[in-house]
Amino acid sequence: MLRPLLALGLLLAAAPAQAHKLKVFATAEGAWISGTAYFSGGAKAMGIDGTVQAPDGMVLGTLKTDAGGGFGYEARTRMDHTLILDGGDGHAARAVIAAAELPASLPEGMAGAVLPPPARPVAAGADIDTDAIEAAVARQIRPLRQQLDAYEERVRLHDLLGGVGVIFGIFGLAAWLSARRRMP
Amino acid sequence: MAHIPDGVLSNPVLMVGAAVAAAGVALGLKGLDPVRVPRVAMLSSVLFVASLVHLPAGPASVHLLLNGLAGIVLGWAAFPALLVALLLQAVLFGFGGLVVLGVNTVDMALPALAAGALFRLLWRGGGPRRAAVAGAVAGGGAVLLTALMVAGVLALSGREFETAARLVILTHLPLMVVEAAFTAAALSLLARVKPEMLRGRG
Repeated sequence: MLRPLLALGLLLAAAPAQAHKLKVFATAEGAWISGTAYFSGGAKAMGIDGTVQAPDGMVLGTLKTDAGGGFGYEARTRMDHTLILDGGDGHAARAVIAAAELPASLPEGMAGAVLPPPARPVAAGADIDTDAIEAAVARQIRPLRQQLDAYEERVRLHDLLGGVGVIFGIFGLAAWLSARRRMP
Repeated sequence: MAHIPDGVLSNPVLMVGAAVAAAGVALGLKGLDPVRVPRVAMLSSVLFVASLVHLPAGPASVHLLLNGLAGIVLGWAAFPALLVALLLQAVLFGFGGLVVLGVNTVDMALPALAAGALFRLLWRGGGPRRAAVAGAVAGGGAVLLTALMVAGVLALSGREFETAARLVILTHLPLMVVEAAFTAAALSLLARVKPEMLRGRG
């Protein structure tokens, strides 16, 4: 009787409930694309290989995450950059840095990448460096975005209970249908 | 993990996985007595929840698979139970994916069937202690087999088998221990209070 209780205790002590899935968080600060790779339990994913791809699938460069799961890549053109990380054991994740996130000062990317017109503040004085402002704002909101990203991944109790309810519903329906078929 | 996401495996592997899973589910449902449906539902929700609970194991963290337990208690009905659990995990939490659902189901359900057969071979209607030992072997073996199958489908999709297998099995080693202990505990309890549940059809 003790052992099942022990195992159950072990199971319950392991909250918060989270599962194993590779996640990538990436932002652009100026032309520098940086981010972190982590498993959805929160553990940093170190030594993971990745590639940076253009919208047409052309490989622009490669990445490798450091001990903290971080990586960086310098964008040279203003187009969508797709980061693909692959743990090699069936875990893979991707993140897209949209062209709009990159500074307008970079050369425009290839045809097909539809770009919104670069947002330049009007009449704010010609000496204001928009790139510097963009970089500063990006740096400021980065922790917020990271937090939001991690928050989205949390497995919540009501999701779990909802799932259990759906499972019983599905099998209840199956039992009802098969019982009806057996009745004369 | 048995949660291979979309976009990792090649199309032929996906199609074969889906076909095998469909056949397994059909077989599982065909042999399913309506009286046993609540049991399948319960095991399915246990599988669903267990894969979301994270256990710290050394540097990495793992989650229980419990497919060995499912195979022992359910037999072929483990196929529909696993399919439903994996489907909901993919839809609700984005673990795994919809296109790879078939492959993920097969990766877990075939080892489940093997564990069920192995358990009955070792147990032979013995006492709770014997059930615990047989359960530990079957539960741990099911995890190892799942890891090998994951490495296998990755290899079939053009990855190097050795690298993938080493990575997958290394991360699954601590899980094998935890899973063996858990399955043993659950089965010794079942053998004591409800041994008819372990005799295949009951």
